Amino acid sequence: MKWLRACRSKSLALPNAVLTSFWVAAVAIFVATGSNGRAENPHADVLAIGGTVTEIIYALGQEHRLVARDTTSTYPPEAQALPDIGYMRALSPEGVLSVEPELIISEEGAGPPEAIDVLKEAKIAFVTVPDEYTADGIVEKIRRVGDALAVPEKADALAADVRKSLEAAKSSARAAAVEPKRVMFILSTQSGRIMSAGEDTSAEAIIRMSGGVNAVTGFQGFKPLIDEAVTAAAPDVILMMDRGGSHGAQNDELFAMPALRTTPAADSEAVVRIDGLLLLGFGPRTAQAVSELSAALYGG
Amino acid sequence: MVAGADHIDYQAPVDRMQHARRLHVWLLLLLVAVSLASLTYGATGVTLWGTLAKLWAGEELTRTEAVVLFDIRLPRLFLGICVGAALAVSGAVMQGLFRNPLADPGIVGISAGAGFGAIVAIVLGALLPVWISDLVGNQLIPLAAFFGGWGTTLILYRVSTRRGRTSVATMLLAGIALAALAAAFSGVLIYMADDQQLRDLTFWALGSLAGSSWTKFVAAAPIIVTALIASFFLGRGLNGLALGEATAAHIGISVQRMKNLAILCVAAATGAAVAVSGGIGFIGIVVPHLLRLASGPDHRTLLINSALLGASLLLAADVIGRAIISPAELPIGIVTAIIGAPVFLWILLRRRGIVDM
Amino acid sequence: MLSAENVKVTIGSTQILHGLDFSAQHSAVTAIVGPNGSGKTTLLKALTGDIEASGTYRLNGCDPAQLKPWELAAMRGVLPQASVLAFPFTVVEVVRIGLRSGTSGDHAQVVMAALAKVGLASYANRFYQELSGGEQQRVQLARVLAQVWHPVERGEPRWLFLDEPVASLDIAHQLEVMNIARDFATAGGGVVAVMHDLNLTAMFADSVAILSQGRLLQQGPPAKVMTNETLSLAYGCTLQVNTEPSETDARFLLPHAASLNDIVPAKSA
Repeated sequence: MKWLRACRSKSLALPNAVLTSFWVAAVAIFVATGSNGRAENPHADVLAIGGTVTEIIYALGQEHRLVARDTTSTYPPEAQALPDIGYMRALSPEGVLSVEPELIISEEGAGPPEAIDVLKEAKIAFVTVPDEYTADGIVEKIRRVGDALAVPEKADALAADVRKSLEAAKSSARAAAVEPKRVMFILSTQSGRIMSAGEDTSAEAIIRMSGGVNAVTGFQGFKPLIDEAVTAAAPDVILMMDRGGSHGAQNDELFAMPALRTTPAADSEAVVRIDGLLLLGFGPRTAQAVSELSAALYGG
Repeated sequence: MVAGADHIDYQAPVDRMQHARRLHVWLLLLLVAVSLASLTYGATGVTLWGTLAKLWAGEELTRTEAVVLFDIRLPRLFLGICVGAALAVSGAVMQGLFRNPLADPGIVGISAGAGFGAIVAIVLGALLPVWISDLVGNQLIPLAAFFGGWGTTLILYRVSTRRGRTSVATMLLAGIALAALAAAFSGVLIYMADDQQLRDLTFWALGSLAGSSWTKFVAAAPIIVTALIASFFLGRGLNGLALGEATAAHIGISVQRMKNLAILCVAAATGAAVAVSGGIGFIGIVVPHLLRLASGPDHRTLLINSALLGASLLLAADVIGRAIISPAELPIGIVTAIIGAPVFLWILLRRRGIVDM
Repeated sequence: MLSAENVKVTIGSTQILHGLDFSAQHSAVTAIVGPNGSGKTTLLKALTGDIEASGTYRLNGCDPAQLKPWELAAMRGVLPQASVLAFPFTVVEVVRIGLRSGTSGDHAQVVMAALAKVGLASYANRFYQELSGGEQQRVQLARVLAQVWHPVERGEPRWLFLDEPVASLDIAHQLEVMNIARDFATAGGGVVAVMHDLNLTAMFADSVAILSQGRLLQQGPPAKVMTNETLSLAYGCTLQVNTEPSETDARFLLPHAASLNDIVPAKSA
C-alpha cells in the first residue's frame, strides 16, 4: 500500500484527466488484489466507527450515505440522530449487520476481533483508518476516508484546507507561546487517582501543537499518577475534557486534591476544558482545537 | 410401645425425585423455546422461520441471512448453552462440595484466577514473542483465562490436600486468600494498563457472548461437555456429602475420589466458560437455589436440571441484552446481575425463618 | 465376628489408644463404656475407618481397609454421635440417601419400614432441619437401619456401629432405640455401641468393654465385668452396683453420694 500512496502524492501535480485515470487504475488494483475492501459503489451505505471518521464524512459532504454511527460519533450534532451501534471496541456483529452497511469505515482499534472476523465473513467492505497525531496523520485520515467513499478530489481539497488552517493555527500558537507553559492533561480523577497523559499520546500532541509543553514525562500512554509525581510535574495549566456541568464546582473539587493543591495551576486556578472529540480527535477541527487551546493558554 | 407411635398414621412419602424428573422434560422444552427465540430474534430482521421457509422452498439464502444465522446466532446459541450449563452446574457442584448454598466458583478463587489470566493477556499480551501471538491469534485472552482458572485450582488443591485427604474448609480459606492475591496482582496490572486496555478489561469483566464464534465454541465445548457429563455422576456422592464426610464414607462413597472429580469438573467447566464469555455472575447461585426450592436438593436430578435451567437463563439474558439497546448490546453479565440479584434477595426474604436453606 | 488386636491411635503427638484388643460377636450387643476421654469414640472411629489406626482388624474375616467403600457399606452401618445435614432434604429423602440406588425394587418399603421402626413414619415428608435433635437422631438411625436392613445377608452377619445412640433421647425413646439394637442382634446381626448410660448398658448389652485412659480394663458379660471395683477404677469415683431382685439378675446403678475422699484415683494396670 505504501507504494501506492507515494505514487498518489506525486500524481497531485498532474492534470486532472491523468489523475482520474490513475484513480481508476488504483481502484482496479485494489479490487483485483483484494487487499483492501474498497467500495465499488459510490452510493454504498456507510457505517462510521470513530468520532473523527464521522466528522470527516460530514466535512466531505457525504453524510447522506451514512446509515449508522458508533457511540463516540457525537459531532456534528446531527450525527447523533443516526442509529448507534455501540462502543467501537465492543461491537455486536449482528447489531452492525442490522443497519445493513455496505461499507464500514472505522478508526483503528475496533473490536472485538471475533466481531470483525464475522463482518469480513459477511463480505462487508471494511476500511481501517490509522490514527496518527500529526498534520500528516490528519491528511492521511481524510484521504483514506475519501478513497473509501470514492470522492478523492473532495478529500484532497479538504485535506489541503485542513492542512493549511492547521499550519496557520500552529504557527500563531507558536508565536503566542513566548514562554511555553507546562500543561498537564487529566483524563479522569476517579477515586482520587489522577489519570494523566504521558508521552506519545494524542493529548501531548495537541499540547505541543498549541505551543505548550507536556508537564508529564517518563512514561507512555494514559496512566494514573502518584500524588508526588503530580506535584513534581508542577503544571501551570490543567487540561481536561469538557463533560458539561458547573466548572466552578468541578474546579473546587479538583484543587481540593492534595496532589494538585501545591501546583502553580492551583494558584492561578488555571483549568482549560475542551470537548474531548474536538481536542483529541485529530480530524478536520484540530486547527480549531489548537486555536482554542492556545488562546486559553496564552490569551486571545 | 412408645407413646405417639401406637397411632401410626403412615404418611405416604412425596416423591420429589419423580417431580424433578418431570422437571427435566419441562426445562428441556424451555431450553428449546429459548433457543428458538435466540435464533429468531436479533437486530437484523432475519428470522428463523423466514430462512427455514426459504430453504424449504429451495431458495438460496442471502449472504446476510447466511452470516447472521450460521456465523453469528448459531455459535452464540451453542456457546450460550455451554456457558450457562457450565456455570450453573459448577455452582451446584461447589455448593454440594462445600455443603453451603452460597458457594460458587467465585468464592474459591477459580473465577478470580481466570480473570487474572485474562488481565495478564490484555495488559501484557503485546510483550509476547511474535510467534506465540501468531500461533494463538485471537484466542490469547481465552487461553490465558482458562490457564489462570486451572492454575488457581491446582494451587488450591495442593494447599488443601494432605496425605491424600482434601480439607474442604482449608480449601475455602485458601480460596479466599488466593482470590485476594489474584485481585492484588490484577490491581498491579490494572495500574500498568492504559486507557484502551482498561476499557477492554471492563468489557471482559462484565461478561458477554458478543465475541462468540465457531472457533471459540470448538475450543470450549469439548471441555465443558466432558466436565458436565462427568459431573452428572457426582449426584449420589454429593447427596452423601450433605450428611458430612464421615457419613458419606460410611454409606459407601469413596469421598476423596469424588472430591477429586468434583474439583476437576468445576475447574474445567468454569475455566472454559469464563475464558469464552468473561465474568458472568449469579447463574451459579440462583439456578441451583431455584431448583432446590422447586424439586428438592437431590443432586442426582439437581445437576441435570441446573444444566438445563442455567443454559435457558443465560440465553434469555442474552436475548434481553441484545434487545434492550439494539443495535448495540448490553453485556450479559449486567443483565444476569440485574435479574439475578433481586430474585436472589426475594428468595432469601421469602424463605427466611422457614428452613435454613 | 469382629476382632481388633493391638489397636493404636495417635492424633498429633498424643497417643489416644495404647494398643488395646477388642472383639465383638454377631447376634450380640457389645457396649463400649468408660469415662470421658477414655477413648470410647476413638475406638469406634478406628473400627469404622474414620481415623487411621494401627493393629490387626478383621470384620467377618475381612480386612475392612482392603474392601471397596461400597462393599464395606453393604456390611455395616454407622450412626455418628452428632449428625449434620446441608440442604433441605425431607425425612424420607435422608433415609433414602443411605441406600444404593438401583440395587433392589423394595427400597420404598425398606425406607418406610425403617422410619416406622423408629416411630417416625408420620414424619416422612417433614423437613429434616425442622425436627428436634432427638427426632433427627432417630431419623439418622432409620437411615442406618435401611442401609443394613437385613441383619444377615448371604449367611454373613451385618454390623451396626452406634456412637452414643441414645444421647439426646427421652427415656421412652432410649428404650425404643435400645430395643431396636437388641432386635438387630437377635436377628443375627452384630451391634457395637458406645454407651454413656451404664444402666441401659447393663440392661441391653451382651458384652461390655470398659475403657480407661486408652486401655481396655475388662471385657465380658455385664454380670461379670460391671463390678464395683472395675467401674470405680474406670470412672474414678465410688460406684455401687445393685442387682435387680428378679430372675433376670440385671444390674443397675444408683447415683452414690460419694464424698470427695472416696474418689479412687483411676490407676490402670
